[in-house]
Amino acid sequence: MSFIEFKNICKMYPGSDKNTVDNFNLDIEEKEFIAFVGPSGCGKSTTLRMIAGFEEITGGELYIDGKKVNEVAPRDRGIAMVFQNYALYPHMTVEKNIGYGLKNMKMPADQIKKKVDWAIDILGLEEYRYRKPKNLSGGQRQRVALGRAIVKNQKVFLMDEPLSNLDAKLRVSMRTEISKLHRELGATTIYVTHDQVEAMTMADRIVIMKDGVIQQVGKPMELYDHPKNQFVAGFIGSPQMNFFDVTVSGNTVKFADGNTITLSEGTTKRLNGRQGQMVLGIRGEDIKMDAQNMDLNRDNRQHAVITDTEVMGNENNLYFNFGGTQAVARVSKYEISQIGDGIDFVFMPSKMHFFDKETGINYTEEV
Amino acid sequence: MLTKKQKRINWILVAVLLVLSVFFLFPVLWMLANSFKADAAITADMNSIAAFIPPAPSGNFFENYVSIITDTNFLRYMANTLLYAAILIVLSIVVNGLAGYALAKINFPFRDQWLMIIIMLLIVPTETVITIHFLIIAKAGLLNTIVGYILPLIVNPFNIYLFRQVFVSLPDDVYEAAQLDFCGPVKYFFTMVLPMSKTVVATVSVFTFLNVWNDYLWPSLVFTSSDLLTAQIGLNSITSNENTTMGQTLAVITLVTIPVIIIYSLFSKQIVEGVTSTGSKEG
Amino acid sequence: MKKKNSIMGMAFFGPALVLLTIFLFLPMLLTFGFSFTDYFALNPELTHFVGLENYIDIFKDELFVQSFLNTVKFVIIIVPLQCGGALLLALAINKAAHCKKYFKVAFFVPVVMSLAVVSTLWMQIYSPEGILNTLLANFGIDAQPFIHSADQALPSIAIMSVWQGVGYQMIIFLGGLQNINPALYEAAEMDHASAWQKFKDITLPELKPLCIFVFITVTIGAFRMLVQPMVMTGGGPDHSTYTIVYDIYETGTVNWEMGLASTMAIVFTVFVVILTIIQNVLTKDKEGRKHVNKKAKAN
Repeated sequence: MSFIEFKNICKMYPGSDKNTVDNFNLDIEEKEFIAFVGPSGCGKSTTLRMIAGFEEITGGELYIDGKKVNEVAPRDRGIAMVFQNYALYPHMTVEKNIGYGLKNMKMPADQIKKKVDWAIDILGLEEYRYRKPKNLSGGQRQRVALGRAIVKNQKVFLMDEPLSNLDAKLRVSMRTEISKLHRELGATTIYVTHDQVEAMTMADRIVIMKDGVIQQVGKPMELYDHPKNQFVAGFIGSPQMNFFDVTVSGNTVKFADGNTITLSEGTTKRLNGRQGQMVLGIRGEDIKMDAQNMDLNRDNRQHAVITDTEVMGNENNLYFNFGGTQAVARVSKYEISQIGDGIDFVFMPSKMHFFDKETGINYTEEV
Repeated sequence: MLTKKQKRINWILVAVLLVLSVFFLFPVLWMLANSFKADAAITADMNSIAAFIPPAPSGNFFENYVSIITDTNFLRYMANTLLYAAILIVLSIVVNGLAGYALAKINFPFRDQWLMIIIMLLIVPTETVITIHFLIIAKAGLLNTIVGYILPLIVNPFNIYLFRQVFVSLPDDVYEAAQLDFCGPVKYFFTMVLPMSKTVVATVSVFTFLNVWNDYLWPSLVFTSSDLLTAQIGLNSITSNENTTMGQTLAVITLVTIPVIIIYSLFSKQIVEGVTSTGSKEG
Repeated sequence: MKKKNSIMGMAFFGPALVLLTIFLFLPMLLTFGFSFTDYFALNPELTHFVGLENYIDIFKDELFVQSFLNTVKFVIIIVPLQCGGALLLALAINKAAHCKKYFKVAFFVPVVMSLAVVSTLWMQIYSPEGILNTLLANFGIDAQPFIHSADQALPSIAIMSVWQGVGYQMIIFLGGLQNINPALYEAAEMDHASAWQKFKDITLPELKPLCIFVFITVTIGAFRMLVQPMVMTGGGPDHSTYTIVYDIYETGTVNWEMGLASTMAIVFTVFVVILTIIQNVLTKDKEGRKHVNKKAKAN
């Protein structure tokens, strides 16, 4: 049995006739770092709050460490949680905030002190020890919230968008810090975020949700390279994967603006004989302009005019109109172009995805 | 950064307000100055600025005060009132605070209906039930007891409403965090909610004190034994005595006013907040 | 979870509910019940149901009618003075660039003093040889009887009440004025609005809900007038300062005619509640009409 098991978990709010979380099935192993990711309203936070016990589970069964916890009070589920708005106790100092739970567990004072000292030390909060939350910066508050969670030695950490109130730079550094904490403490962690970058960089496995339904579960690179549907493909990765409406007949792909490419044998095979209207997806970095790739795929060369550029230094995004829509290519910093320049490019044959126009299912990932 | 015209208007305003403020303060100043005088001096000074100036300190400077303190039980009455106020402050915070919290954060049956009733009670003139309070307390055999005096004063729809309005905006996630820190709802109320809402707690405390200290009707009904009287009733019985001089009267009312002024100067922020919040409930 | 909430809710709300029931709901019910009886508190065994007799009697009772009229007089004097005064004071203090703190304290000091203290103090001020008459004599004005004459007692008490209470509403208005977004005035300044236009188009509309609130509370407060005449004049001279609540109080706790007192209390309560509703409706109605006018203009 896995450490945390969701069996057909459903959540229906009173007065609603639709499940906010629908038939959620998932096994989480001990010490795993799992990220729930999805757009707002996808049910990821609701699911997390059902694990915590703050939301009633209206259908299905939830097991933590082999024990069914549907009816167990939050405090008895063996969890610690970090909240989006930190939820620090405003009238208590940093030290008291971190030690409050231990005090309520009736732990002897000297042990509390030892634990709190440890947490304050690894989170680098020593000089703020006697400050109250209102005198701390966002990042420091976040650390206190983390400290409060880690001192209790719980087996499960729940984190609800913990970094969403921090500025961009701090978010990056807290990301590494949380990952490090997770490696050191080894607690099973469930991390909710709407930011796919956070999920990709931190999680062992990612659960992508939309409209209360799991879209795909997998390791970060699995999701990136092998999205099961158009939603996952579009959600993971930045800039977003390019999508083109195309018509496939035989091994010819015809774009909305009349351009065509010829599919390689391997790709045609992956399509498994499917024909007709579908959506072609390709990531920006798989649109190639270097001599070697151009030569390899010289029959499928395309031409477009750059309409916009995003210069990031290490790499650049070039925007151009193609296939009846705007597309973006990610190129190295050596391939600088100006707005108005013409470019020639090819699509990497092995990196093309074909999605069903209605259901969004990725044909090329069907096994 | 005022223009010349605005400056002139400002000075006119300030001057008018200064004159008006004298009108608001002169009775108080007159009271204070003359509480140190004998009646003859009060009458003699009446027609001059001396009416607002205390006499030169002399051996019998505090004569009026000394005679009040030694000849009457007035200090005792003041101490009584302080005690009642202290008890009532604690009880009204607990009872009205708990109720306000329930109405704000606990989803119990008919909660919204109860809230409506509390709001409606705010416009019903409740002082007409004071005679029934008297009957109830008399029936219960609690006349002339502290319990009998205090019981009807504990619950106060306005305080419940005030607490509710403040508690409703407390973040829910702090309660959830506390739950995970093994803190139950009752403990949460006393160790989290009240400390997080210091301003409203102070406001309710101050207003409860002022109500108890300044209340006249209810203690005059419930207390007949002179041991338990409150300051206001003591004041009335002393000043309505034929033998009390004007100077003594002014000394008594000064004594009654001193604690109120102290409280006001210490807690003017909370008082202003409380007063303003009475306005914002409709606004 | 639901069950847990109702247990917790009742545990938290329960103590207040018990006390509310004993000291508010029950008294209100009893008052209503007593109002149809001749309940005499010193001899409760002889209580009879008398139907609407009390309701007819009190309107024949000259003293009740007089106390009702007196109360209305109090209201008519106090409400405009106190509401208008508070608003003007707040506007002036808000505008004044100096001594703000002092003004706030000075005008509020009478509020924290008890009614009994203020009444006792003003008895001295109003006394025939008191400081007010001494002051008047300096301007060559004859000594006035103030609270010792049937003509002057009521206005004298009313003015004292305004003096005592106006600071409270002033603070409410000041709070409202400080809550107005200063950007509104800055925008108006950019639009070349005059001082008067700013007041009329920003200050007044923003303060309107507060004005309504103050108007209602001051009115109800004036209707509740009791302690001041009780301490200063005992309702006299010639019952010229006897008020409804005073009458209810004396009938109930001095004469022990609880039946009659209850009837008066019911009539009074209904009157005040109706008044509140009317004020609410009137002020809301105006707003509605204004809205309609605006719409009509726009079309």
